[in-house]
Amino acid sequence: MVAPLYTTASGLLFHAGKILVITIGLPARGKTHISRALERYLRWMGVKTQVISLGDYRRKTIGGAQKLPPDYFTLEGEKSPETMALRKKVSDGCEQLIWDYFESGGQVVIYDANNGTRAARHALAEKFDKAGIHVVMLESLCDNKEIIETNIRSVKISSPDYKGWDPDKAVEDYYTRIRGHEKYYEPLEERTWPYIKIINVGEKIILNNIQGYLQSRIVFFLMNIHNRFRTIYFARSGQSLIEHSYKADSDLSPAGWDYAEKLKDFVLERRAKSLEQRGISHEGRKLVIWTSTRRRAHHTAWPFVATSTSSLSTLNQQPVFSADTFDADTSPVYHDVETASPTETASAGTTSKKNIPMPSTIKVVEKPQMLEINPGIWDGLSPEQAKKYYPGDWDRFTKDPYSYRAPRAESYHDLSVRLEPVLIELEREQEDLLIIGHASVIRCLLAYLIGLPASEIPAIEIARGDLLEVVPASYGVHSHAFHFWDGPGRRGDGDDPQDVKDANNFYENYAESTRGKRKVAVEEVDAVPKSPDREAIELRGMQETLAALAEAEAAPSINIQVTDVK
Amino acid sequence: MANPNRLTVPGAKVSQDLKLVSGMLQNMKDAGQIPVPYSPGIPPVAFGAGGPMLKRFDESTVVSRKGSQAPTPPMSVKGIGNKVAKPDYSDSKIVLAMVGLPARGKSYLSNKLMIYLKWLEYDVKVFNVGQLRRTRAKQKAQQLGIKEDHTASWFSHENAEANLSREQLAQDSLEMLISWLKQGGNVGIHDATNSTRSRRASIEARVAKEKGIHLIFLESLCDDPAVIAANVALKVSSGDPDYKDTSPEEAKRDFLRRITEYEKVYETITEPHLSYLKIVNVGSQVTVSRIHGYLQSRIAFYLMNLHLKPRSIYLSRHGESQFNVEGKIGGDSLLSPRGMQYATALPALIKDNIGDAPLTVWTSTLRRTIQTASHLEYPKLTWKSLDELDAGVCDGMTYEEIEHAYPDDFANRDEDKFNYRYRGGESYRDVVVRLEPVIMELERQENVLVIGHQAILRCLYAYFHHLPQADLPYIKIPLHTVIKLTPKAYGCDEERYALPIQAVDTHRPKPKAPAPVLQPTTARDYYGIESKE
Repeated sequence: MVAPLYTTASGLLFHAGKILVITIGLPARGKTHISRALERYLRWMGVKTQVISLGDYRRKTIGGAQKLPPDYFTLEGEKSPETMALRKKVSDGCEQLIWDYFESGGQVVIYDANNGTRAARHALAEKFDKAGIHVVMLESLCDNKEIIETNIRSVKISSPDYKGWDPDKAVEDYYTRIRGHEKYYEPLEERTWPYIKIINVGEKIILNNIQGYLQSRIVFFLMNIHNRFRTIYFARSGQSLIEHSYKADSDLSPAGWDYAEKLKDFVLERRAKSLEQRGISHEGRKLVIWTSTRRRAHHTAWPFVATSTSSLSTLNQQPVFSADTFDADTSPVYHDVETASPTETASAGTTSKKNIPMPSTIKVVEKPQMLEINPGIWDGLSPEQAKKYYPGDWDRFTKDPYSYRAPRAESYHDLSVRLEPVLIELEREQEDLLIIGHASVIRCLLAYLIGLPASEIPAIEIARGDLLEVVPASYGVHSHAFHFWDGPGRRGDGDDPQDVKDANNFYENYAESTRGKRKVAVEEVDAVPKSPDREAIELRGMQETLAALAEAEAAPSINIQVTDVK
Repeated sequence: MANPNRLTVPGAKVSQDLKLVSGMLQNMKDAGQIPVPYSPGIPPVAFGAGGPMLKRFDESTVVSRKGSQAPTPPMSVKGIGNKVAKPDYSDSKIVLAMVGLPARGKSYLSNKLMIYLKWLEYDVKVFNVGQLRRTRAKQKAQQLGIKEDHTASWFSHENAEANLSREQLAQDSLEMLISWLKQGGNVGIHDATNSTRSRRASIEARVAKEKGIHLIFLESLCDDPAVIAANVALKVSSGDPDYKDTSPEEAKRDFLRRITEYEKVYETITEPHLSYLKIVNVGSQVTVSRIHGYLQSRIAFYLMNLHLKPRSIYLSRHGESQFNVEGKIGGDSLLSPRGMQYATALPALIKDNIGDAPLTVWTSTLRRTIQTASHLEYPKLTWKSLDELDAGVCDGMTYEEIEHAYPDDFANRDEDKFNYRYRGGESYRDVVVRLEPVIMELERQENVLVIGHQAILRCLYAYFHHLPQADLPYIKIPLHTVIKLTPKAYGCDEERYALPIQAVDTHRPKPKAPAPVLQPTTARDYYGIESKE
């Protein structure tokens, strides 16, 4: 949960003051991973946060490992005076960066360095404490050799320090560096400062005297992160009969049902391919699907339930369809499975023909927090109507859609606040996840995952018919979009304004209506059915018609094309 | 692969229906029937339940549902709302075993946790070994006339007979807990001292035999003499039947001796393989070890936010609004003249009550609460999460209008008000989900005045008084009244201050049902509910 957006005179959030998080730990203990994740989370909440990394600063000012004197990382006492001076220069420079950031209005700094000696970190903490900045120590301990080795191999030797090195040599060099640190490393034992100790990336967490709102949020967040490999997919719900009404909670249009089928096929295929490419066995890997409680959202997930019913029943596995409010871990069997003969479900038949490995379980969870952004009194209005009746609000909304809240509506900030519990569950979820959501909701979650500034959230384009694939990695995420479907309700790439299918739903589709600035690069998938076999029931014009009629401007002109499909 | 009929026929049908729907709005416009709800220049609610659009739309969309290829077609939802199923938590099964010396706040923590989790609709039950011991002793005394000695010597670990007896009690209590979990419970709290490694090992061994049940220990440590003294004093003065016939001084001496007996063998949790939470002086230091699972981390986060500082929470609805006067629900209307009077009178009432103590005022984003708070000179926060329950398509209508437009649906809501979700809006359950962060923040804060709405305050009130979900939508929260809640160890004290400013009554009692009897209590339960029945 995040308190609403309010700033004190100092420009800081939550009356929490300024916070310096000092990381402590030997190299390759996941400090950077944790620091970056925390930075992403705090920034998403609107807190001005910056990771200041000693390693990055050193590389920038001096250069990679080859340019360093040989005694740079060895035991303290054996260093030459030149090396000592060099090291001091680096750490002083870094410290200055921290001061600069606080002075420029920053609220939280995460100082990503080893900080292995008690005296040094104590001196640092004291300096900042005197300036009224809250200090929190964050130690990352790891006694699991496997985690360390994986970390070195996957992250460290690909760092600029080891550009052009033989991997094994680089690993060996890195272990030497760790040994250099181990000799003088003093684990956090002193109770002087509030601390958080994380053992084996979240296996155990010890807290000392952690007080304050932001601090307890940080802890809750750290308790929920993990580094198991998983993939997160995002797709929009299918087109509904009345796209521009929040209240009507209308059902999928025929095109929406068609989209739902295609989505299921494509997700299962894509997921199988992705696992194969990474050489990961799909044995026992589940797929969890989250939708909102809106009919068009959970009905878009319906084909998945149908598929798992027919193809998994032989394996004596139950598909799961649950109404869930709090707990992502529960997997209730809520949905009564009626007799499903495979012949009835054409899509399931297709799937088995292609022989795509299926997830061991598919679970669908409905979350009330995932409703689309509430358009308030603009509900059901076309952009023209909104502009006409609420010119002042319209103006302010279009200027700053992130923080401006139209009457009774939600701003994107409100939406982010509402989604925060979902985001924690997203971090915690270990299985592959498909989020079938509304554009506004996907925007917020995606912005968090890829680390976009809050103000850009409303301008992220989420086209219906694209599947976004996000894979969390050590220093962020890899994201990729696949265009798998074309049809009514997808924003076209052409200049034809008629292609902007749901332009009437301006509040929800702000980015699409204004040709948003942010877009994940989309890969075209061969399988996209192009116009000839496009199953077109053009409901387009429906919203326009309703709007026009309300205005009593013009006679209805519903443009409907019906094409038979082979 | 697809049936062409599925696409062609419905498509044409939909278009016809849509033309009809669209035509309705035109007709309304022509007939001058489009109402002006707020002020001139503001358009009608296109899909409100009051207008004909929604009904026409529903009739026209039957065809869409037929388009489904799913083996079990989705339920057709029409009208203004429907009942929503309770989330199924049947997979969450946790034994939460308390660890700690007497008077360290174990029962306090287990009680708080139970209230919180129950409010979130988990099935939670505390199995207090002390209660079981007292209940059994009472039965023995009543049936056989044997009076057992339960003074400190009974708690001595040198008393072999009592040791066995206490061991038996703890085991029986755990068995009761496990069989309750198997019958569908979610979190069973084993409220006992569990102060030795061997006792914990035996609990671990017992729970390990059950598949799908997780075990966490929650240790409460306290080295603040003032807190311990207060706990001891509470124990001695609050009518503990163990000390029924003893003087307070004697009781205190005996209780302190009992603590000493436990201290002799007490071993704090250090077992590295156990899942545990260790809380020192409620909130000052927390250790979290091997806590996995969503519910478990929620529990940890909740416990981290608790504090014991004395404070009060004030709840007040906004002053009477124009919509209240007109009998309309929802909306964002301004205050009525009487509502304005209330807003003006509120600061003096609060000042009289709280003096110079610090206070934070929370309002929703709706104008009637902001207006009500406008004369209060305290720091104010506006929460979107405190907005009134969203009545969706019924927003802005009177109950009579809803009943007239949708008589069947309207009756359904009264059948199960907590679970009824307005179309395009919320159910009380949805509101509880949305308020969870607010509850967490209220636990962290000190004096707070919440200026909210009827449904919102019902949910908050139900949390603090631990009232059941079914009764929640019928709690009386009158207008122009400040409710002061003061959290105590086992509940909340309540005072109500009604200002003598007239207001309409917006309470709708449950038809054909007696009003729920709400008996908030702050008394500690020494026997457990079972023994009373």
